[in-house]
Amino acid sequence: FVRCMLHSCYSSLILFFIPWAAMYDTVRDDGKDIADYQSFALLAQTCLLMAVNVQLCLDTHYWTAVNQFFVWGSLSAYFAITFTMYSNGMFLIFTSVFPFIGTARNSLNQPNVWLTILLTSILCVLPVVAFRFVLMQLRPTINDKVRYKMRKEAVPAPTPRRHPRKVSTRRSGYAFSHAQGYGELVTSGRFLLKRPTKSRSTLFSQVDSPLAK
Amino acid sequence: MKEQQETANRPDNTAFTQQRLPAWQPMLSAGIVIPGFVIIGLAFIGIGIALFVTSQNIQVLERDYTGVENNSPCFKCSDPSTKNCVCKLDFSLDKLFEGPVFFYYGLSNYFQNYRKYGVSRDDRQLSGRLDNFQSPDEGCVPYQYDANNKPIVPCGSVANSLFNDTFKLYQIVNGARKLVPFDGKGIAWWTDHNVKYRNPSITPLKNAFNGTVKPTFWSKPAYELDPSDPANNGFVNQDFLVWMRRAALPDFRKLYRRITEGDYKNGLPAGNYSLEIAYNYPVLDFDGRKKVVFSNVSWMGGKNQFLGIAYLVIGSLCVVMSIVMLIVYAKFKFPDEE
Repeated sequence: FVRCMLHSCYSSLILFFIPWAAMYDTVRDDGKDIADYQSFALLAQTCLLMAVNVQLCLDTHYWTAVNQFFVWGSLSAYFAITFTMYSNGMFLIFTSVFPFIGTARNSLNQPNVWLTILLTSILCVLPVVAFRFVLMQLRPTINDKVRYKMRKEAVPAPTPRRHPRKVSTRRSGYAFSHAQGYGELVTSGRFLLKRPTKSRSTLFSQVDSPLAK
Repeated sequence: MKEQQETANRPDNTAFTQQRLPAWQPMLSAGIVIPGFVIIGLAFIGIGIALFVTSQNIQVLERDYTGVENNSPCFKCSDPSTKNCVCKLDFSLDKLFEGPVFFYYGLSNYFQNYRKYGVSRDDRQLSGRLDNFQSPDEGCVPYQYDANNKPIVPCGSVANSLFNDTFKLYQIVNGARKLVPFDGKGIAWWTDHNVKYRNPSITPLKNAFNGTVKPTFWSKPAYELDPSDPANNGFVNQDFLVWMRRAALPDFRKLYRRITEGDYKNGLPAGNYSLEIAYNYPVLDFDGRKKVVFSNVSWMGGKNQFLGIAYLVIGSLCVVMSIVMLIVYAKFKFPDEE
């Protein structure tokens, strides 16, 4: 819990103070205003979204096409919605509801705005990466060990898929994770018995279900 | 029978439904993280250097003219009872101030980001809708109707507090004063000038304002802000637009004019200058400060050391962290057997 608190306090401070300091007394590259209320709000909002998306990418252990679609999709949806909300059309129809007209166009074409966004999102995420990496080295959890082993074993040329009817190595052990699961490891008994390949334990031979045709 | 039911309910045997999608499994291994940190660190240091160097090359000249101290040239104007006071601020440049030069006025301790202040405006009125001229928005209270119950146009405290100091810059050449030409076109955002704020489509503009009054603090009504140029009159007046774009921070600066014409195309040459200020705007009640700022700009905007320094600091921290992680990795190497 304390770790969560620390992380969130740190992120909030970063997400406000970096845009604040970057916008202090500065202007656009053609001299016009950029440190106005609406641009600042848009900047903070975009920083937040980028940071959250990067964190999400970090936490996704198993990337499928579905994941890719949703992550990139959410980013593009954000920009699409922002530009729509700040467009001429919306303003002309609903005048007092959308007073932020022009803000996205005028601030997001500034390189220093994008550099601020980059700095903020990376600064939010890097400590997490470093912390996790160090923790993995110093106190690896069993999950990590297993993943590492499976990674190492996957590196030599993977056997070509001979027959779809073979005991499927792509079974999902966990619902919704799209992860390969530990079915093969468990059935081979290697993990439990700490010894090189043993004959399959017959207890788990009924891994095939009628669905895997 | 049961077999058939089972077959009917069985999900399709596609990769998607059977969770057999091809996938990529990233892992935080040492081979990725440590070089990653080094690359990010070096990239950031590079960007930081570029930003810092660019920022150092931007020239800025700031002068406070509130007139609080006795020896300030505008001290006589800081007395609220003097009206139409004019004060002169002298300064000199020892080298060419490269153009195009941007001239800003700055205010301190002025909270344009205060919520009640910020919502006190009527965007419908400002986009030229005549029905809102007669009935301004509720949010404009107390600048909605005047004492005689006539609607105020433009209503609200944002519009009412329009900055009204004016400036003239003279260069002292051989003892004579030479006016430096100012360019006031296009100082506000294009979208503000062309889309967000529109004048009502009645000509002459004056007739649109029948039955309304000007804001209390203004000296002239909106349709007389610039009678010489209809594209700069009424609500699309550039100074008005610049003011209405609410600042996010209590210390802000707003563009007043550009110096780009005539002899000053390449900037302000070295020499003596005298700035004549028509001091109208009262800020001393709330300990505010007024200043003028001359600045030139670059691809990264105005002078802001922060981004450059931040990138440099973070870049070096990244490199340091990667060295630390390398040590950690080398010492506590992942054991090969479980």
